[in-house]
Amino acid sequence: MNELHPVAVTVNGTPYERHVEARRLLVDFLREDLGLVGTHIGCEHGVCGTCTVLMDGESIRSCITFAVQANGHELMTVEGLAADGRMHPLQEAFWEQQGLQCGYCTPGMLLRAKELLAENPDPTREEVREAVASNLCRCTGYQFILDAVLEAAKVIRHEAAASVEPARVAQEV
Amino acid sequence: MATEVTEARTRKWVGKSIRRVEDPRFLLGRGGYVDDLTLPGMLHAAVLRSPHAHAIIKSVDVTAARQAPGVAAVVTGAEAAELCNPMPDFGPAPDKHVWRCLAADRVRYVGEGMAVVVADSRYSAEDARDLIEVDYEPLPAVVDPEEAVESGSPLVHEALGSNVAYERTFTFGDVDRDFAEAEVVVRDRLRWHRSGAQPLETVGALASYDAGTGMLDIHCNSLTFTHFLFMLAGTLKIPSNKLNIQPHSAGGSFGSKFWAVKVAAVAGMLAKNLGRPVKLVEDRVDNMSNSDHHGSDRIYDIELAAMRDGTLRTFRLKVVDDYGAYIQFGTGTHGNSLAQVVGPYRIGSVQYQVQAVLTNKCQQGAYRGFGSEVTNWMLERMVDLVAGELGMDRVDIRRRNFIAPDQFPYFIPTGNMYDSGNYEPVLDRALEMIDWGYWQGEKERLRREEGRYVGIGITSAQERSVFSATEFWFWFDEPSAKVTSSPESVTLSVDATGSVTATLYSNAFWGNSAETMVAQLVAEELDVEPTSVSVVYSGSNRSLPATGPGGSRFTVMVAGAVNGASARIKEKARRVAGHLLEADVADLEWADGGFRVKGTPERSKGLAEIAAWCHLFKHSLPDDIESGLEADKVYDHPYTTMPSDDRSNLGVFYPFVGHACHIPVVEVDVDTGQVTFLRYVAVHDAGTMVNPRSLDGQIIGGTAQGLGTTLLEEYVYDKEGQLLTSSYMDYLIPTAMEVPDLEIDHKVTPSPFTVHGIKGAGEGGRMMAPAAVCSAIDDALSEFGVRCRELPVTPARLLTLIDEGRARQSPHL
Amino acid sequence: MKPASFVYHAPATAAETVATLTELGEEGRVLAGGQSLVPLMNFRLAQPAHLVDINRVEELDYVRADDGSLAIGARARQAALERSSEARSLAPLLVEAAKWVAHPPIRHRGTVCGSIAHADPAAELPAAMLAQGGEVVIAGGAGERRVPFASLFLGPFSTALQPGELLKEARAERWPDDTGHAFVEVARRHGDFAVAGAAALVHMDGPVIARVALALFGVAATPVRVGEAERLLQGSSGSEDEIREAAEVAVRDLTPSSDIHGSGRYRIQVARSCIRRALREALTSARRHNG
Repeated sequence: MNELHPVAVTVNGTPYERHVEARRLLVDFLREDLGLVGTHIGCEHGVCGTCTVLMDGESIRSCITFAVQANGHELMTVEGLAADGRMHPLQEAFWEQQGLQCGYCTPGMLLRAKELLAENPDPTREEVREAVASNLCRCTGYQFILDAVLEAAKVIRHEAAASVEPARVAQEV
Repeated sequence: MATEVTEARTRKWVGKSIRRVEDPRFLLGRGGYVDDLTLPGMLHAAVLRSPHAHAIIKSVDVTAARQAPGVAAVVTGAEAAELCNPMPDFGPAPDKHVWRCLAADRVRYVGEGMAVVVADSRYSAEDARDLIEVDYEPLPAVVDPEEAVESGSPLVHEALGSNVAYERTFTFGDVDRDFAEAEVVVRDRLRWHRSGAQPLETVGALASYDAGTGMLDIHCNSLTFTHFLFMLAGTLKIPSNKLNIQPHSAGGSFGSKFWAVKVAAVAGMLAKNLGRPVKLVEDRVDNMSNSDHHGSDRIYDIELAAMRDGTLRTFRLKVVDDYGAYIQFGTGTHGNSLAQVVGPYRIGSVQYQVQAVLTNKCQQGAYRGFGSEVTNWMLERMVDLVAGELGMDRVDIRRRNFIAPDQFPYFIPTGNMYDSGNYEPVLDRALEMIDWGYWQGEKERLRREEGRYVGIGITSAQERSVFSATEFWFWFDEPSAKVTSSPESVTLSVDATGSVTATLYSNAFWGNSAETMVAQLVAEELDVEPTSVSVVYSGSNRSLPATGPGGSRFTVMVAGAVNGASARIKEKARRVAGHLLEADVADLEWADGGFRVKGTPERSKGLAEIAAWCHLFKHSLPDDIESGLEADKVYDHPYTTMPSDDRSNLGVFYPFVGHACHIPVVEVDVDTGQVTFLRYVAVHDAGTMVNPRSLDGQIIGGTAQGLGTTLLEEYVYDKEGQLLTSSYMDYLIPTAMEVPDLEIDHKVTPSPFTVHGIKGAGEGGRMMAPAAVCSAIDDALSEFGVRCRELPVTPARLLTLIDEGRARQSPHL
Repeated sequence: MKPASFVYHAPATAAETVATLTELGEEGRVLAGGQSLVPLMNFRLAQPAHLVDINRVEELDYVRADDGSLAIGARARQAALERSSEARSLAPLLVEAAKWVAHPPIRHRGTVCGSIAHADPAAELPAAMLAQGGEVVIAGGAGERRVPFASLFLGPFSTALQPGELLKEARAERWPDDTGHAFVEVARRHGDFAVAGAAALVHMDGPVIARVALALFGVAATPVRVGEAERLLQGSSGSEDEIREAAEVAVRDLTPSSDIHGSGRYRIQVARSCIRRALREALTSARRHNG
């Protein structure tokens, strides 16, 4: 019953290997076994989305996933968003737009938004609204979160355009 | 009682929507919430909750649990009663309804904790918890508050002899005369079911005890009123100066972390007795069923009297409030009601009969509004009723009754004061933004041409802020403790480089931008960049008296504390500057972050240079100037007066009163009862704004919670007292799809009594939305004569109202 | 809220899965998406002694055309159904229904077959399958058997699946390309389980309804096909009056249970409204196909 199983995962680009009970929830594995406390626990029954992480690029609820199910997969948590000391455009946008108050839903919200923008780089406000409806926020009433995601979308699109050959960028300008 | 107020035109930082200084740590996943913390040797606790609403605990067998793998201890309620005293209780007659951190001989609500397991992991603790065998003798449950007061009802607390914890009728003004002179009277019964804060982060505590020093450290995310902590120490049976509460950022509170100290008490008891750190974090079911923080749960019977021209004269009401199994804050939630019971109107008298009833449910605590949001809803529902009765427009009747701008400070019949206000511009701006006239025609057109039911609603109501402690005891002619302090404190330290640290003493951060408020206020006073201010929190054992957020008080109070501390800093800095500049202090003026000689501005010393001198060059300064540059300020409530002996006047206890107008446009699907929003306008006047964007965030978030209370959220107990809404599957928090974008504007009528003229504004959104939405639903369904009297207006309840309306239209079909 | 311990199995093939499940019998449960099972385990309302995790069984991950049906393997995610172009052409009703299941993050993990096996009476996919028609392939110790959707759902959270069996594949019957479909649900919030809902398929023969399927969810112990209403509509022109009559007939014998989200009576009212809307939409889309 309390047999330990291997969990070899790459989280935010770093490989880890641990041995845990099969019943150990992924959120507890991340927080306690790996010390990545940015992923939060809200309800532990898969409704609020606070525990959202990306597994192989897709958002999942880590409170209703066993750590053993992540074995062999790639995860991204909020700690993986910023790179080289620079915040991700979503983090900057949430900061500029005040898309957070208590910050507790924020990690999950950021990752969900990241997934949305990867699938749909130029969403309408209503598309953003429907996408983030998967994640509860009790503080903001969502309005500034929508503002933040739309602003980040713009920045990410511009950055993507800027990384294209200079001639094309000049034309856009 | 006026305080120094910087002129608006000279303010540099107050009024700016800077991005928040606390955000980086949250954005990076380094929020420092209490569950993020670990200590070496830490154990995990899990509480066993009662499955019965009311039962005698005959026996508890923990033998198997104690032997389970990884278990360090199992403590029953009976054992806890030896280790701890009862919980601190601010309610009436706490000896008659003894509240313990774990129930010892009887459980009184589903979810009440009655044993706790401590183990090497939460998993092991829950495994062991499943092995505890409890022999309960179920008792009849008291669930309906009106049945609870009938003779023959089972009693929640035998020692009380009744389920009425408190009952009193207050009469303010000449109610009888005003009724006699009135020309029309409307009556109604209104029902507001309990909902609750449900922040995404639950209450948690990590306690560790140092046997060498006797100090019990409790890391905790609850607000803790430092000046009352001796009561918690008493519960824990430790000396009052050996309890150190260390604040942690809360992942939301909305009132439910306002003195939520039971978790800390259990963790503290365990840590002290086990000699190892113990972490206890509520799970979601704990937080729904055992939080001690359900919201108001009221039944109103009201009659309101008016003149035919629409002038509101008076009203009488009886309110039955179902407090659950305990009543930790007494009827403080009715103090909140009485603070603004007449709304923004010139109503001259009020009779208020309150009956606080105990039942077998989780007790009430605080939820954004703390009882005044219910009163707003009640009064606005009655104003709509009177308008309908008189055939008057809902806007006109409100405008007619507004307190006029030249009447402030205005004392309402209960004795509380509204410090300032100018209500018509708020109303007019809201009407303009929504285009009230357009919707009168448009909703008719939509009905006629598209068969759609669209309505527009309005509320104009108050949002009081910054409570005085008197509202917790003026209920009694002979209160046991006439507490009058509700301070907030700050220490400002300027180091030898001129860098400023602001130390806070309460658990100030609930998501309410506390650090940004402090940074902007300090920046304003000392002319530094807000981002350069370091905001830190002190543990309570080094603490000045502080209360924390709640009652929308924090920004106003910390502004007073910052103002006071910076004034002291500047006073010392002025003396040092005078010495350095060889000028008389009277010839110096504060400008550009330092002192300069009036008339010769090039002769100046900046704060950084002054600070360096203060820290490093004692012997170069006058003898009586101490080293360092630091000041405290304990800021007490700036405007409180005592109640009269007979309580016909409650004194001034909640004087900084903002005002708002909400106008939603809704559509109702008459086949399903679902309500959707077409538009939502909100105009607020909370005096001077420190960070308008942050304030808007509070308004939107509060409104979203108000929409939740109005349409979705309810803690539902069945006839046996079983909590049917004990998870997020059944307790419905609005998602982004249920909350419309708000169109917000502000008016600014500063308070004459607060620093910068700020009024508290954190709760306002929730205090407005329920009445506004009900008004809109009624309007959409006016052809059926629908009137929303019960919250939440679930689709099922609304469809019943529509069906009843249809039946009234065609009674013979 | 942590789950109780269990023995964990992670087979790599369908055969291994079936063998393990057969051996475990009543002690074993399938872990597919886990989006319904793991919350129950966290509440400790479910405490399976063994979990057989099929998430490594690649061969069961498919949504494809197969012999005229749409075949969905046990490991196929709800999101895969939503994205599948084959599903869109063979059984667009199912794609529509999938969009109503909770939220995208749930659909990334939740499986179609898992939802069918879980048989929540308020769930979308079981009802959609019931309307679409078809069968499931159940694999067990004695081999494979097929059970039509019409006889699969026995009660709340109860199907014809026996302990030790795997719901290996769902096979949705194909309707003609010019079939109109509609999926209508009323829930308390976006993404919630249905208070009531209706799934409808309508195939016209000229101006007349040649074939219709109407399945309701949230209104009974299982999803229900309302045969009497279907018979009423068959051969009719699908006028507004006929739609209203069909809706009345459909709800007449329903006795939905009451809960905090609505009384039985309320559910019937909502169901009636959903049926009317679903039939109208399905007819509109069928008529559009027919030019």
